[in-house]
Amino acid sequence: MQPLARKIKVTFWPLLFFKTFMQPFALDEKERSTMKKKSLASIVSMFLVAILVLAGCSSSNEGGSSGKSSKDQVTIDIFQFKVEVKDELENLVKVYEKENPDVKINVKTVGGGNDYGASLKAAFSSGDEPAIFNIGGPSDVEEHRAHLADLSDTDSAGIAFEGTLDTVTDGEEILGLPFNQEGYGFVYNTRIFEEAGVNPEDIKTFEDLEKAVTKIDSQKEDLGLEAVIALAGKEKWVMGNHLANIFFATEFDNSSLVAYESDTIAFEKSNELKRHLDLENKYSAQPVLSLDYSQQVEELFSLERVAMIQQGNWIYNSVYDMDPDLAENGIDLLPIPVEGYEGKIPAGVPMYWAVNSNKDDEVVEASKAFLDWMYTSDTGKTAVLEDFKFVPAYEGYDAEKIADPLSQTIYEYASAGNTIAGWVYNGSPAGWSQEVLGAGMQKYLSGDVEWDDMIDNAREKWEAERK
Amino acid sequence: MRNRDFSFWLFLTPVILSLSLVVIVPFFYGFVYSFTNWNGIHATEFLGIKNYLGLYKDAEFRSAIWFTTKVAIVSVILLNFLGLGLALLVTQKMRTSSLMRTIFFMPNLIGGLILGFIWQFIFISVFGSIGDKFGVEALTGWLSTTKTGFWGIVILTAWQMAGYIMIIYIAYLESIPKDLIEAAEIDGANSFQRFRNITFPLVAPAFTISMFLTLSNSFQIYDQNLSLTDGGPYNSTQMVAMSIVKTAFTENKMAYAQSQAVIFFIIVAIVAITQVYYNKKREVDL
Repeated sequence: MQPLARKIKVTFWPLLFFKTFMQPFALDEKERSTMKKKSLASIVSMFLVAILVLAGCSSSNEGGSSGKSSKDQVTIDIFQFKVEVKDELENLVKVYEKENPDVKINVKTVGGGNDYGASLKAAFSSGDEPAIFNIGGPSDVEEHRAHLADLSDTDSAGIAFEGTLDTVTDGEEILGLPFNQEGYGFVYNTRIFEEAGVNPEDIKTFEDLEKAVTKIDSQKEDLGLEAVIALAGKEKWVMGNHLANIFFATEFDNSSLVAYESDTIAFEKSNELKRHLDLENKYSAQPVLSLDYSQQVEELFSLERVAMIQQGNWIYNSVYDMDPDLAENGIDLLPIPVEGYEGKIPAGVPMYWAVNSNKDDEVVEASKAFLDWMYTSDTGKTAVLEDFKFVPAYEGYDAEKIADPLSQTIYEYASAGNTIAGWVYNGSPAGWSQEVLGAGMQKYLSGDVEWDDMIDNAREKWEAERK
Repeated sequence: MRNRDFSFWLFLTPVILSLSLVVIVPFFYGFVYSFTNWNGIHATEFLGIKNYLGLYKDAEFRSAIWFTTKVAIVSVILLNFLGLGLALLVTQKMRTSSLMRTIFFMPNLIGGLILGFIWQFIFISVFGSIGDKFGVEALTGWLSTTKTGFWGIVILTAWQMAGYIMIIYIAYLESIPKDLIEAAEIDGANSFQRFRNITFPLVAPAFTISMFLTLSNSFQIYDQNLSLTDGGPYNSTQMVAMSIVKTAFTENKMAYAQSQAVIFFIIVAIVAITQVYYNKKREVDL
């Protein structure tokens, strides 16, 4: 007997398994020759079946494509990124379809920032273009400029908060409508602050913050805290995007468009940023560099093991899942104190709705009508507030109805004009804020680089991208 | 083989078709795109080798290649060692051997992404609390430094793939003729000598397969890397596959990322071909 090893020697490894498993089924020569005759017919018929199945697939695809399907019905394909509101949006669409029987809307959702961008590109290059889709910062606008319809005649554009449309404005044209607003600062535990004797309203400057933090730190044991702050050092966006943003926003007049066109970044407030990062790091639960979002929000903050974290209103649902009572009654948002920005919250629009101008006029108009309906009709407004749980980027919403305290605070700040409009980091070179600055800040925290060298390197990278 | 003309090609068509559609054609497309300024939607300019020149100066890409190489070397050694060890263990005459085979193979059935998160919990929380309790400094702060991140990835890969490599070794170990071993035993060879002089040379072909598998697999680690460390801290534990994905989708430099992928392909191809060539020469035929 030949050993197995000799027979298969070096074959492609799946073959190894195939051969091993198929050994018992192998046929001898005689069987094989009779099989041949019999099986030719069956092979041909199998082939035919396969062709039929394939043909069936391709014809069913045709029904799904957009445009006018039957008589006067208009079909709108929506391709959106916010997984959290997938079901809610689909329900709202059903209500709209009932009110407008001549409109048919298909919603397709692809989650996550990166995946969405890639899928959208794939959709456009394959010719299966959606009518309504989402765009983010100025770089998205530039990329998709050729097929963005002008939305300046919509009602929603008229009531959008000042500044929220800056990044999607090109001359007279408005190319996108804000999805919602999100804002960040220090989310704090009101009970712990009270017990420690710290009044959040007194925190206006960095010195105040330092005082408050040290005060809580001295009572750590009594309050049952692990640390005062939890800094999610593993998440590059927490430091590179959010924290850094408020320190360099002034350089670009708080506009991501200005940042998008800028050849360089001066980092005038780099020392203040360093001071702030050091403070958060010093009083944070350790090790900072492997502390991720879920540890920060769920393990440490929701279980009341830290007093405050630098996060935004999007953490509400996570906190709610851990401790509904804490989420509803025990947390609030406080601005990060930066000189020149006292009492202001950086609130931005993470994504915009855009309408594809390549589509027929009919589809474009119907798309605009749907977006308007969603943000201006009573039904739409209620859904946006209560089902989507959005912080609206539009005037005329009832702040009382906003579901959670963090979003409520942000909407109040926005209505009073106390938000820094726009997240300027959206205008930085693609990936720069996280992969260069965020990673750089991690490197600084690990002690492998001096702060100033890190800042210089980040500036060089920015300049290299903008050459 | 008279029927080769028809049924041969008939059965081959689906494979050839899908292989060329999803592997071969995109490969050539990608190769062409790496010479342009393609941004994912359209390419407007032909840049020649500019992308490749930029690659040469890209410190981050170089560090990713170096890190990947280190992970690959260490995990190839560890994996083959573990795989052969486990295979020897479960081919002993023991009552639990088939249960153990199942257990050792199991990690391979769990997706890398999930494994990454499970091990992240083990490294950070379990290691951390053990370290705190017994005052072992070395167990705290895992994944927050480059070194622990490196070992984290190596341990995860070894744990996941060892069972798979074990299966390959088992197949070869069980095909060794009993009479050879018996003869050696009669000649007075002790168990180490039997292993060194009979078992080991006879499982040499398994080395070829296993080394090729482990090597190319460790080079292509992506999901474990993503969920375990996400490149952190400061992208120092970022492997090449992840660096390519980031360049393409986060930094939006599709063509540049494509040129990274081409270089990466060439490196992996060279390594794999050389390795298969040398191992084949070493094989013992009966």
